[in-house]
Amino acid sequence: MKSASLRFALLVTGPCYGTQSAADAYRFARALLQKGHVISQIFFYQEGVHNASQLVQPAGDETHLQQAWVNLALEHELTLDVCVAAALRRGVSDKDSAAQGGLEQWNLVPPFRLGGLGSLAQAALSADRVVQF
Amino acid sequence: MNKVAFIFRTPPHGSASGREGLDAVLATSALSEDIGVFFIDDGIYQLLSGQDPSLVLGRNYAPTFGLLELYDVDNVYISAEALAERGVPAERLAIDAAVLSQSELQRRLADYNVRLSF
Repeated sequence: MKSASLRFALLVTGPCYGTQSAADAYRFARALLQKGHVISQIFFYQEGVHNASQLVQPAGDETHLQQAWVNLALEHELTLDVCVAAALRRGVSDKDSAAQGGLEQWNLVPPFRLGGLGSLAQAALSADRVVQF
Repeated sequence: MNKVAFIFRTPPHGSASGREGLDAVLATSALSEDIGVFFIDDGIYQLLSGQDPSLVLGRNYAPTFGLLELYDVDNVYISAEALAERGVPAERLAIDAAVLSQSELQRRLADYNVRLSF
């Protein structure tokens, strides 16, 4: 018997290292897709914005979670939405927001994308299931 | 459209969770009037009036909870048990909202099919 496919929205609020939450979110995302479900959105909020920094350098024998998210997004054509207000406060910027803030460096590139909380609201209101990590 | 409940369970100091939860509530209120806001456990401290977070280099966002009414967020609930456990009378809170028993709170929460915790 094949169960019906559901549209999931994931809210990631843990950093890419230091707590398990974001790793669990990633594993859950992989499991969903493997089971034939659809991920309508992955939204990074609070400490979750650190998952978007391409300046993280895990040890060679450890999981590179930022890269793992990128690979997941590319394989399944997902966008990775990052709350702009939460990100800028924590030192995660894309090229445009860095320029606007007079900064010379940035660390967020596609498929991660800075955006407003409106897209989290939209996902929370419309997905079949919303899971917070 | 889902009914989304926002559950505040952390104090205003120590982490930015409450502040960022409030931002999420206000953003969602622009798209739906059918949202609920719950204050349980240490989350009731979010609503204390007379806070001075500048002493811990924080911003006093508690008055922003007053915007909920303006944004037509009417379903705001506070745990009576959490208030009693912490010795906080409802009069010390910055907003007027329904103070509910644990069983009533659980019954209201069951109305929401999406729950986000801050």
